[in-house]
Amino acid sequence: MADTLTIHIDGQALTAQPGESVLQVAKRNHIAIPTLCHDERLDAAGCCRACLVEIDGQRRLQPSCNWPVSQDLRVSTRSPRIERHRATLLGLYVADHRLDQDGLPVHTTQGNELRTWAETTDFKRLLAIDSPRHPRGVDANPYVAYDPDLCILCARCTRYCDEIEAVSAIQLAWRGAETSIATAGGRGLLDTTCELCGGCVDVCPTGAMHAKQAPRFEKPGAVQKVRSTCNFCGVGCQLDLNVQDGKIIQVTAPPPGETVNDGNLCVKGRFAYGFVHHEDRLRQPQIRGADGELHDATWDEALHYAAKGLLGVRDRHGPNALGFVSSSRCTNEENYLVQKLARAVFQTNNVHQCAAT
Amino acid sequence: MQSKSAQREGILQQLAEQGGATALAVAQVARQSGVPEADVWGAGTFYGLLRRDPKKTLVCNGLSCKLHGADALHHQLAGQGVATEFVACLGLCDVAPAAVGPELLPLPASDQPAHVLPSDPNLPIDLGGPRDRSYRGLGAALKLGPEAVLRELQASGLQGRGGAGFAAHIKWRSVRSQPSPTRYVVCNADEGEPGTFKDREVIRRQPDKLLEGLAIAAHVVESTQIYIYLRGEFERERRILQDAIDQALLGPLAGLEVHIVRGQGAYICGEETALLESLEGRRGMPRLKPPFPTERGFRNQPTLIHNVETLACVPDIVLRGGTRFASLGRREPGAKLYCISGHVARPGVYELPLGVTLDELVAHAGGYIGTPLAFSPGGASSGFLPMGERSRPLDFASLSQVGSMLGSAGAVVLNDSVDLPLAVHWQLSFFEHESCGQCAPCRLGSRWMRQALDRYLASGDPAELSDVRDVAWEMLEGSICGLGQVAALPLTSALQHFPHHFGHRPVTQELHHG
Repeated sequence: MADTLTIHIDGQALTAQPGESVLQVAKRNHIAIPTLCHDERLDAAGCCRACLVEIDGQRRLQPSCNWPVSQDLRVSTRSPRIERHRATLLGLYVADHRLDQDGLPVHTTQGNELRTWAETTDFKRLLAIDSPRHPRGVDANPYVAYDPDLCILCARCTRYCDEIEAVSAIQLAWRGAETSIATAGGRGLLDTTCELCGGCVDVCPTGAMHAKQAPRFEKPGAVQKVRSTCNFCGVGCQLDLNVQDGKIIQVTAPPPGETVNDGNLCVKGRFAYGFVHHEDRLRQPQIRGADGELHDATWDEALHYAAKGLLGVRDRHGPNALGFVSSSRCTNEENYLVQKLARAVFQTNNVHQCAAT
Repeated sequence: MQSKSAQREGILQQLAEQGGATALAVAQVARQSGVPEADVWGAGTFYGLLRRDPKKTLVCNGLSCKLHGADALHHQLAGQGVATEFVACLGLCDVAPAAVGPELLPLPASDQPAHVLPSDPNLPIDLGGPRDRSYRGLGAALKLGPEAVLRELQASGLQGRGGAGFAAHIKWRSVRSQPSPTRYVVCNADEGEPGTFKDREVIRRQPDKLLEGLAIAAHVVESTQIYIYLRGEFERERRILQDAIDQALLGPLAGLEVHIVRGQGAYICGEETALLESLEGRRGMPRLKPPFPTERGFRNQPTLIHNVETLACVPDIVLRGGTRFASLGRREPGAKLYCISGHVARPGVYELPLGVTLDELVAHAGGYIGTPLAFSPGGASSGFLPMGERSRPLDFASLSQVGSMLGSAGAVVLNDSVDLPLAVHWQLSFFEHESCGQCAPCRLGSRWMRQALDRYLASGDPAELSDVRDVAWEMLEGSICGLGQVAALPLTSALQHFPHHFGHRPVTQELHHG
């Protein structure tokens, strides 16, 4: 392809496309560059400074996430200068973070990229920074909470809310060391444009944005991720059930780029899983008896009973006395079957889908 | 995400008109502008003047004011029942200790004319001379044509007077060569470097030279739209400048649009890309460069940004030639407005050959008060130098050789009555307060640095400062913009040049964090 460029990272000649960043080319070629504020779906912010590299001809270290490739660009991702930069920067982040007894950033149920970085890199130990963020009021929403002590101000959440969801419910507010993630006037999320999609939770690298329903500090390995399909509507979003001891403790979106929903979920898919383990949940069919009470039945009994009732209506009043409405939770295939049931079995065109209007 | 029809640019001014970034005002401005409410809140809470109590008198907490009794003034006003709050710097270092009333006009004691040199028509700006409303330089530029003006500008060697010292003609040519037909000329009048008040004085005394420089620049880069981003605390200067604009638009500036946009109290907006963000109604967080503003600046269009003083030099360069202007300097070209304050007899703004020494500058300012100990040659960002450097030329190259900088040429002298670590503490507090918070090295480093010094002052144990060098190195290497890169310099320069001031010491009882 005529457009293809060659760049050199750490002396290695690599193919790149115009418009790509140095970081993209590095990642594709498994050259490790630490990042915190980067998300492939968002415009490069260059604010976490983790991904700084040396670019030939540039006096200053430059963010690889935002540096466009050009023909014969020469980049170094390893040098004493870069190592010192990473060690000191990481030291500052750690000094500003909540730590466990080993002096590492706390692990959270959703992981902690800062901890992962600190576990694999020697860093400069610094005395803790006393840097309380601007305080935030009570937020009564049932799903999303913010813990400023774990926030590294990468602004992935605010940028996601703006650039992906086009909701702009949260934004960086205040200034300097007291900069925080805020809603207008510090209100609860229910009183903002927030749709409680929980995307801010998923993009948060450190667990500062977290799901209120989920336990916060589960150990790594304690939680198993089970890929499933959301059944709240027919779109077919993939979700990861985070399962511990046979119970769902949280739902997360699969990584962007892997599934149709590209890392996104809505409020239902992400948070409305309480029914799964609820004690009131029906676990088998029931038929109302002559005594007016519901009695457990087998599937065969229940289906026969329903079929008999429907056929009885058709025989007494004709096919158009029946109407079929399917749920928006049905898949396309299930919707097809409902209309087939209506038309072929009961001979009526009275069929509708609740999401059709 | 804001809708396409949203009107973001005016939101900061609208908040100011409604008494600041209160929840109520934010909701209303969001409704009127179409900008998401959280964005208005995020932008509004960034700015000191939008967060202040609009009934309070503001007392300056800058170095020069601290040296001259800012704390005492604060107590005195409080004793008189005046509601006050400390602010980072008011740009009134020559009348220290300074305070401005709720309307942002200086209190009577802070409202004295600055000391300048007597009128000398040979000086390019001539602050002491009669106000020059002739616009003869503009007339000459129109006759010469853009290329000839650029040749004179290049011959003049004019370097940006805001602090970076970048060659002006390169910026002008870059903007002129851009394919986009829409270009902007922006004047950076957000003078906020503690110790600096020269642009203020240009606007007070020779506002037409600034406007003339802007008009010449607009002519050369083929722009008709001029924006002057003026420091919000300069309310008196705003009135003078607006008056000058109104009159000039009737004559020499006819056909141009000239807007004053008020800053809202954020030192970082003196950084050119933070300034552009602020002009566009956002938080003043510097942009990543490249692209540079000359390619994509205001509204994503090619933009020429210059400091007030730089632009005010232009009419003289056009009128009397670049070579003559260049000859006014010593080792670097041109004359320069030097601010001097602190422990000197007549703090003021003196237009002198670029490359004068501190001793020469202080001679103009009536001499030292007491025995000088240290000086800051170019504002807080330039750190502290020992008096052994008093004969060093105050120019861009000579000062960078000793790890300092000319910066905005806001020199401050400290005599031996000053507890140097405490003065460093004031400077570090300033940068910590003014860090925009975007990037970690500056946001975390500036706070860590100040707290390390606090620990030293509280314990008297120099071991508290052992990691300073590493953190300072990271702030320099890792920060996005110049603020973070130099924010540790007050401490590192003092440690380098005054190690004996940072030994074991008695516990310091009281620190004002202002």
